[in-house]
Amino acid sequence: MSYFTVFKMRLRMELQYRGAMIGGILCQMFFGLILVALYRALYAGKPQSVPIENVAIYVWLQQAFFRMMLASDSELVDKIRSGDISYDLCRPVNMYGFYYARIMAQKLMGSLMRAVPMLVMAFVLPRGWGVSLPESGLGLLAAVPALFLGLLCVCALENITVAFTMITLDPRGMQGLLNLLMLTLSGNLLPLTLFPESWQKIITFFPYAQLLDAPIRLYTGEYAPGDAFRVYVLQSFWVVVLIGLGVSMWNANRKRMIVQGG
Amino acid sequence: MSYIEVNNLKKDFIVKKKREKGRLLREKETVHALKGVSFSVDKGELVGYIGPNGAGKSTTVKVLSGILTPDGGEVNVGGIVPWNERKKHVKNIGVVFGQRSQLWWDVPIIDSYSLLKDIYRIPQGDYESRLKELTNALQLDSIMRTPLRLLSLGQRMRAELCGSLLHRPELLFLDEPTIGLDAVSKLSLRDFLKWENREYGTTIMLTTHDMEDIAALCSRVMVLGHGQKLFDGRLGDLLEKYDTVRNVSVRYDGDANGLRLPEGVKYKQTEEGLELSYDPSRLPTSQLLGILQEAGNIRELTLQPENTDHLIAAMYKELDL
Amino acid sequence: MNTLRLYFKSIGMLLKSHLQYPSSFIMQTLAQLVMEGSEMMVVILIVDRFERLKGWSGGNLYFFFGVMSVSFYLTELFGRGITGDFPMMVRTGRLDTFLVRPRGVLTQVLCAGTDPRRITCIAVGIVSLIIGSGISGISWSFAKVLVLAESISMSCLLILGLFMIEAIFSIFSVKSVELVNAITYGGRSACQYPIDIYPLPLRALFTVIAPFALTMHVPAAWIMDKPLYGWPAWTAFVTPLSGAVVFVVMSVFFHLAMRHYRSTGS
Repeated sequence: MSYFTVFKMRLRMELQYRGAMIGGILCQMFFGLILVALYRALYAGKPQSVPIENVAIYVWLQQAFFRMMLASDSELVDKIRSGDISYDLCRPVNMYGFYYARIMAQKLMGSLMRAVPMLVMAFVLPRGWGVSLPESGLGLLAAVPALFLGLLCVCALENITVAFTMITLDPRGMQGLLNLLMLTLSGNLLPLTLFPESWQKIITFFPYAQLLDAPIRLYTGEYAPGDAFRVYVLQSFWVVVLIGLGVSMWNANRKRMIVQGG
Repeated sequence: MSYIEVNNLKKDFIVKKKREKGRLLREKETVHALKGVSFSVDKGELVGYIGPNGAGKSTTVKVLSGILTPDGGEVNVGGIVPWNERKKHVKNIGVVFGQRSQLWWDVPIIDSYSLLKDIYRIPQGDYESRLKELTNALQLDSIMRTPLRLLSLGQRMRAELCGSLLHRPELLFLDEPTIGLDAVSKLSLRDFLKWENREYGTTIMLTTHDMEDIAALCSRVMVLGHGQKLFDGRLGDLLEKYDTVRNVSVRYDGDANGLRLPEGVKYKQTEEGLELSYDPSRLPTSQLLGILQEAGNIRELTLQPENTDHLIAAMYKELDL
Repeated sequence: MNTLRLYFKSIGMLLKSHLQYPSSFIMQTLAQLVMEGSEMMVVILIVDRFERLKGWSGGNLYFFFGVMSVSFYLTELFGRGITGDFPMMVRTGRLDTFLVRPRGVLTQVLCAGTDPRRITCIAVGIVSLIIGSGISGISWSFAKVLVLAESISMSCLLILGLFMIEAIFSIFSVKSVELVNAITYGGRSACQYPIDIYPLPLRALFTVIAPFALTMHVPAAWIMDKPLYGWPAWTAFVTPLSGAVVFVVMSVFFHLAMRHYRSTGS
């Protein structure tokens, strides 16, 4: 199967579950509204250096691309639980690449199809409540490649989670922890821009901050377009490291399985 | 009035069709699962309920056991309309679903029974004596402390039966109880059901695909197809009605050259002897036996009914099921 | 009383079966601790940066968070049958087995599920309650303890009632997880902060339809000696009862829906 077919199949599947998709969008919108209302109330008492408009944009982009961060491949996890994964691992094809493409297809299609309608609706909301265009067009231009690099990062991260799942006997606990790490450190629970400044210095270096935080900051202008190159380098660094780590974990798993005889 | 009275029972299901291209909403289709089924069952009867998949067997059982509310018709079980007085009704019934368990998966089965005691509000003394009796009859002693998930299929079915009989129901529904069981388990299960029926007069309704279950257990059989009752009577009558071919094998001492078989009788010479098949409605069995006897000295003769499964298949085919 | 005994016996048995896989259980329970811990960390970080929220101090915010956390996870601990497992009970036909037993369906559904991993979440909630109470300087009285207990138990009924919407939808085999999550998990996220910070439509939603404001915020405000949104003090005792109202109404709908249950298979 070519990598392209994986994407096409995924698109068709997403279209089939339109009901769930619409429900998901409405739910995510509701969460977005609640969070923006909360931050507006907090700002009313004590304004911060980061303007509220940027916080609103941060919240909406996080909600819009929420799907990108969720562990997406339940079928794969089932396969691991049942042990059927060992057949896959013993195939001569590069299974890391195959699953990477599959996860990417799920994340890309799933999040794009939700993000576009959500962002359209968020654009209609009044300024300070919804999303507005960035001050400079350069910010928008700089954010797009960063978002793509972020996608590469998150897929590599999920592949590592999957590899972990194969090692531990109980996948749910481990998965829960890794997902939570992702939600917290990527800025979904609280925008990273509202973390204490000293923490931000460290957290923004972590891989989790590369997924959405970096693109959002480029969009809102918190990172100047001139910083874009530095951001891309950091993101690419993590992509290479995480893929390398993932591949070696998959290979180790594969060896272990072959030794055990499937 | 009989114990179970079912009159013109109807149940429809609305099935959503797959969405066609370009349509916003899915089309719906009404499936008539039961199109007016009537029957009555007396107390203590052991009734087999057969029919191909989708004939409405499970739907009938679900209505009779109070799970489903029908769309039309009347049902009365021991003076109770199941779906109107569900709790009162189910106190008197036991249900064993062949493929889904009623017991708790991860705990020893004795714990499940203890919980069932509370659910059915069985007095402690009754519970103990009943459990002891069922344990013996179903040979559960050695597995009482084993979690359900570790039991074999046959053990599991016995455990389920015990669970559904603890409260001494007057009426027991069995939905394909022997599915997937090995021969020994099947036989002991049938023995137990006969015992339960004889000892306590428990009315048993059994849906199955296994004709041997029916042959071994049921004095009466009902055939359901396309949501309608197609036959209701003794298994023998059913077989006679559709049993158009019988097989006889004969072995002679020496040759039987004088054998002249009438038209319509097929035969085959094998090493074992002669294999004949004939239609008893056209050629009475006694007449055939006469012809066979005249032809020579018979050493061995076996009359075999056609395999019941084949018969049922033939019947389904004839009734266009 | 018999029903209650049956419930606790069932839950006890489920606990036993959870503990058959101890390492998995411990791992997941710890994961829950970290999860709820980071939710609390968010509140701490917000208090650290903003100090107050409208008229509410940091201590007040911890108290609100604690009430919500304890209520929500108590519900998940004891009401797992409704808050999580029900759609599966319909799909696998387990609901059929409940229908052939002489007990209420809802009782049996509740007897069939518990989520003991939530115990650590509840612990986080209790810690937050204690910290919040300490910082806010609440002077506890018997009446206040009573109102807190009422508030938490009524909130549990409310949350259970809201989760029943999903159960009702799944009786008709309609998938509604996402939409119902908006009001359950969304309600939790929104109402762990004081209700008066939200614009009118959200306030109306959480007062009339999913009345967290009545089961939680009014009594909590009274406990912390804050003005009750202009209402007299006795309302703090009465408004939480709306949680029971929601639960009863949803139970009626649940039983009406069960009349149309179609069962699965065949």
